[in-house]
Amino acid sequence: MKTRVLLLCLLSAAVVGASPWLGRSLEGDTGRFILENLRIPRVLMAVLVGGTLSLVGACYQTIFANPLAAPSTVGTTAGATLGALVAVVAAPALGISLASGLPMIAALAFVGALLVSLAIAAIAARGKARVNDILLAGIAISLAAAAISTGLQFSADQMQLYAAIQWTLGHLPQVGYRGVVMLLPFVAICWVVLLSQTRALQTLLGGEERAHSQGVNVPWLRSLVLGVGALGVGACVAWCGPIAFIGLIVPHMVRMGVGASRRVMLPMSVVLGAGFLTACDTVARLIVVGRELPVGVVTSAIGAPLLVWLVVRQGSSRGTHKSS
Amino acid sequence: MTSLELANVSVRARGKTLLRDVSLRLQQGEFVALLGPNGAGKTTLLRAALGLLPAEGSVLLDGQPVREMPGRERAAKLAWLPQQSAAAEPITVLEQVTAARFRFHETHHAAEAGALAALDAAGAAQFAARHVNELSGGEAQRVAVAGMIAQETPLLLLDEPANHLDPAQQIELYRLIARLWRDGRGVLCITHDVNMLRFVGESAVRVVGMAEGRVRFECEYGAPELPGHVGDLFKVGIEIVQAGADRLLVPSGRPA
Repeated sequence: MKTRVLLLCLLSAAVVGASPWLGRSLEGDTGRFILENLRIPRVLMAVLVGGTLSLVGACYQTIFANPLAAPSTVGTTAGATLGALVAVVAAPALGISLASGLPMIAALAFVGALLVSLAIAAIAARGKARVNDILLAGIAISLAAAAISTGLQFSADQMQLYAAIQWTLGHLPQVGYRGVVMLLPFVAICWVVLLSQTRALQTLLGGEERAHSQGVNVPWLRSLVLGVGALGVGACVAWCGPIAFIGLIVPHMVRMGVGASRRVMLPMSVVLGAGFLTACDTVARLIVVGRELPVGVVTSAIGAPLLVWLVVRQGSSRGTHKSS
Repeated sequence: MTSLELANVSVRARGKTLLRDVSLRLQQGEFVALLGPNGAGKTTLLRAALGLLPAEGSVLLDGQPVREMPGRERAAKLAWLPQQSAAAEPITVLEQVTAARFRFHETHHAAEAGALAALDAAGAAQFAARHVNELSGGEAQRVAVAGMIAQETPLLLLDEPANHLDPAQQIELYRLIARLWRDGRGVLCITHDVNMLRFVGESAVRVVGMAEGRVRFECEYGAPELPGHVGDLFKVGIEIVQAGADRLLVPSGRPA
């Protein structure tokens, strides 16, 4: 397994290292400017966002004991999107430009993500709620948030509407090092806190009640993961819009590559998430000559079929579950 | 000496009374077998003892209310083997047993060493590298017991540990549990088959019978009144069959 871990780390590092150099040739001062001030910060943003969304996804899959749980399926992303959209639509009305309104967008995205997480946590805390109920509640909340978001866009003027649509497609913006530095503290808190819970999350794999008997404070762990996950996802959504499926796909890729032990899976989700989003963004940047696709389009194109495959696979594995 | 004491414990859920005024004490060094028909409240009693359920009355672990104890402190005294203990994902046996040592503040290396020792004690060291969802019923139960041993607690709660095992595996498992008891642990073990207790060591085993959420009787395994109590509990006639040195209680098919 150590070889696989090393290979995946090298692969991610290679993708991250190579990405800024791919594309139109970088010659002269202009090329240097593009490389240093546009592409490198953009790749750094992909590393932070990809790592965070993947790590939160892996943690959600553990606390909900469901491989389909991810920020996008339990409603956290939808809550953050709604909060951020309120800011995107409201900012110009308040005379604030979108670029300088980033803190407001981040704050409202976090509030949106947190409110949804609290709602999901409240449902999860009810003894009778099963894991699938939580996912269904997440889907219902996502749909409700999407409906309100559409209403907001409907009431916006043309400029606001364009900004909102562009933002909801999910993209890695050209915010330079300023954006990276502003996002970094949120991401750092998220990574440090969630990775510090690796042992508790590993113990939770044996079942909620078993983990309780082995000393894990399960309600506290779940609240911590949901709260810190909301902070990380909210911050990422505020900067980049709702980039779908990263939190769902990457933990599965890691699981297939290096196994399900959280001790390896959680840090490797960060590593592979960083590499995967960078790769998707590079594809989005290069696939159409002369134009860039939003990275969310590429992640969705890969993630949606994978989600269907996972649902089918889960159904068939239930049907053929080994009995003793 | 660590003790678990349930005094006048009642548990209600969804308008139903699952336990009524139950009192029971387990001390380190004791073996208590909990016997009763399905729905008697045995598992509920174990879950209340672990602080998993809100209960009226008092559940004290070493004199402290169990639901108010910090998780790690409680897990240092009381380990539990649930009826089903499959991991949600295909981790290895060693990883699962290592996770059972959550209560210890130790390095991963130390946790793994403790887990290997526990697997060895449970006779399951050969499964260490296998995935938990590839084990047979008997192997999985042995690994689950290793998880309890890894927790290094003075008291053990076991919920029908021999469920779904073939007779040879049942005997092997009860012998393993008996060894843990003789090492000085206190054991509270739910069982449907009172005859399995002969593999533990008859004389010192206390049998507690439960039905409809109440304790119906309490006596030693070797007591002459046990067959009558068991017959009343399961509402069947009981015949005593002497097999060598062993006294077996066999349902006769006639009503009690």
